[in-house]
Amino acid sequence: MTSTPRDDQLSKRKVYDLRDHEDLFSSEPFTSPKLYKSGVPIGIDFGTSHVRIGLTNQKDPSNVFPTTLSRWRDRKLNKGFTFIGNDVNLDQSVRTQARSPYDGAFITNWDYVEQILDYSFKHAGVSSQGFVDNPVILTEKAGAQVLQRKGFYELLYESYGVKKVAFGIDDLFSYYQNNGKTGIVIGSGNESTHIIPVIDGKGLLAETKRINWGGRQSSNFLSSLIALKYPYFPTKISSNQIDNLVKDFCYVSRNYENELSKALSLDTLETFDITVEAPFTEIEKQQKSEEELARQAEKRKESGRRLQEQAQQKRLEKLIQKEQEFEYFSTVKEKLTFLSKKNQQALLKEENFDDEADFNKYLGNLEKSLKRARNQDVGEDETAEEPSFPLADIPDDELDEAQIKEKRRQKLMRANYEARQRAKREKEEEKLRLEKEAQEDLEWRQSDLQGWIHDRREKLKAIVRKRKDRAKLKEQLNDRKSHAAQLRMKSIASLASDDTSKSSNKRKRATIDNDPNDTFGTNDEDWLIYKDITSIDDEELLEEEETQLIKLEKELLEFDPNFTEEDTYEASYDWRKSTLHLFLRGPRPFNSEDSHEQHQIHLNIERIRVPEVLFQPSIAGLDQAGISEVSESILLDRSQGKGFSGDSYNVLQDIFLTGGQAHFKTFEERLHDDFRSFLPVGAPLKVRSAVDPILDPWRGIAKWSSMSEAENSYLTKQEYDEMGPDYIKEHNLGNASLI
Amino acid sequence: MAGSSVDINKVIEENSVIPSFKNFNRKQPNRRVKPLKQITVDEQKFLKTKEDKHKPNSINYFNISSPPSIKPTKKYCDITGLKGNYQSPSNGLRYHNNEVYTIVKNIAQGVDQQYLELRNANVVLK
Repeated sequence: MTSTPRDDQLSKRKVYDLRDHEDLFSSEPFTSPKLYKSGVPIGIDFGTSHVRIGLTNQKDPSNVFPTTLSRWRDRKLNKGFTFIGNDVNLDQSVRTQARSPYDGAFITNWDYVEQILDYSFKHAGVSSQGFVDNPVILTEKAGAQVLQRKGFYELLYESYGVKKVAFGIDDLFSYYQNNGKTGIVIGSGNESTHIIPVIDGKGLLAETKRINWGGRQSSNFLSSLIALKYPYFPTKISSNQIDNLVKDFCYVSRNYENELSKALSLDTLETFDITVEAPFTEIEKQQKSEEELARQAEKRKESGRRLQEQAQQKRLEKLIQKEQEFEYFSTVKEKLTFLSKKNQQALLKEENFDDEADFNKYLGNLEKSLKRARNQDVGEDETAEEPSFPLADIPDDELDEAQIKEKRRQKLMRANYEARQRAKREKEEEKLRLEKEAQEDLEWRQSDLQGWIHDRREKLKAIVRKRKDRAKLKEQLNDRKSHAAQLRMKSIASLASDDTSKSSNKRKRATIDNDPNDTFGTNDEDWLIYKDITSIDDEELLEEEETQLIKLEKELLEFDPNFTEEDTYEASYDWRKSTLHLFLRGPRPFNSEDSHEQHQIHLNIERIRVPEVLFQPSIAGLDQAGISEVSESILLDRSQGKGFSGDSYNVLQDIFLTGGQAHFKTFEERLHDDFRSFLPVGAPLKVRSAVDPILDPWRGIAKWSSMSEAENSYLTKQEYDEMGPDYIKEHNLGNASLI
Repeated sequence: MAGSSVDINKVIEENSVIPSFKNFNRKQPNRRVKPLKQITVDEQKFLKTKEDKHKPNSINYFNISSPPSIKPTKKYCDITGLKGNYQSPSNGLRYHNNEVYTIVKNIAQGVDQQYLELRNANVVLK
């Protein structure tokens, strides 16, 4: 797409960098052993994306790091090392080996978990001998799998000698930290989203629902969307970069349908579209010196000229040959008129013609092609004066050896000269004709402007229609069964059969490859038969049409007051009107040569499409109800028969958002709007987010650990051995016991 | 990617200290790595075998999953994400308008399935 003056007025767009992981400035810190106290509970939020760990006598976790582990081999030392969490980012080669103990929402590799726990306890400053002399409080999800819990129990009791362990639901810890009493907790984490009603501080697990969509799924979704949107993107976009794109640019749309309907308008895109550029090293184009450029141009010109001359020479030779042929057959024609029928037939046979009609047709074609050849450029004759060819007309027997040679040369020269002359005449006639036409056209325009405009418009329309038809035909030919494709097959078949039935016409066609009479191709016209079957992609024809189109438009622009730039064929392909352009390249023209623009991606609809899955899981093919619908059914079920009062009423006063995805902007507002849509008029409604949706679960643990409730919720090893993993000492913030 | 100013050897040294708090005498359980599918199957088996011991209607991982939506699903364009008013008869892709249809029509082989996979509507051969 070429840029027009209108495009140049557009302001430059802000381009964001494609952020990768943060650079490390220090290794994972160790808590000083002096701060360590045995007996103080250790809180561990062992999430699928991050681990947060710390002694609960602190306000914040001492260590927060990604739940990753990398086994890396130092080739020089030939020794393996294990890196965990942020340390994985120390080195590119370490990072590529990074794995998670989780597969989806579940731990699949307990070896990794053990190593991460080793690392966690070490960094938390645990220095007791022989065992970890602290109670441990762990987070889990609402309705967590029993065997996952079992894994943690076994590890903590057996490998670390922990005396007692308690589990609680992360979203509820977060709610507890934010002083929630009665409300609906919406926890949208890395792997799943939970909706948990809470009444008087106790989570109602019986009414809790889980949507299998979280931050990781959002990132994967965006990653697939980008990969499909830019299939030829030159660099690989890492998962870290995708995560950052989700975090930085995605937001929950307050009114999805409404926002979609105007998402790709030019005005909206100015702010809605985000341009992100992937890092790349620019290749400096070597600047050629002026001299070098001039030399190159000269070289090109020179070779062009040589080719032109050669072509001219060839055309001239052909022209002469044709003229001679024409002359010869003209004499034959003359002869024919004097001969009897029988002799005529014999002569024609001798000349390889079927009958007189065939002969006349051939002669007619020859004349036509001769005319065309004369019109072609055969080079200018430099000599203005007529050269003389004294020997050409003297009979051979009056000449000696050298003269005969000279005569032959002169004859050739004469033919050459005459051919040129004739060509010149022909050309002049053509020029005159064109001039006359132009004159007539001018007169027409001056006398009848409306009629003239009408004529030009019709012509323009015809060309545009032709183009459209061609595009359609081309498309139809892709389908083997379409009418157009069938017709084409038919014409090919008939051409093939033509060859065999008219094989007597040896002059033009022969069927067998090594047939000595096969002269196919010696005449340019022979190739015309292919035109019928491959008429779509004829470049010459297209070019001719293009020039005609431009000429017509230029004329109309000049003389038709109602024809503007907007009406031209090119304008109908304006990027401003192209949905796909706006979607792919945003509100600016795209220059495919610019290496910066090649490395840019545009986020527009994706910005709201990705978070929208939480409300409409069907967008990502998830056969579950969205957040609002689940909340609605929870609330309506509880209020059945009672109307909105009591618990349901109280719960509405505190809709609480937590988890990593609570970071999406306007999440609260959207929830507010959605809830309003199904609540009765006047129902109370308050929506809020956790102060820190990521760290608050851990802080909740710290706060809870000092309560007496916590003291009564620990499970000791003896109790575990006795009751098994499906037994839980139930508390307000934990899962329900199965037994 | 360079840019970290942390010495890798120092990190190795820091983390190679043998933890004082760990019980190294623990008998290692034999299978500690399980594929995801196995985990779900095991959990279901576990719940089944203990069914008679468990409380009726107790909450577990499987029954708190959100049920399918009962509202009509809205249709969106597979390519752009805009409203998807139309569906291509040849490959089932939804599209927004005539212009997007040119893409849908001439989509490369296999790419249509990738688009459908986004909303779990692709054909899975087993």
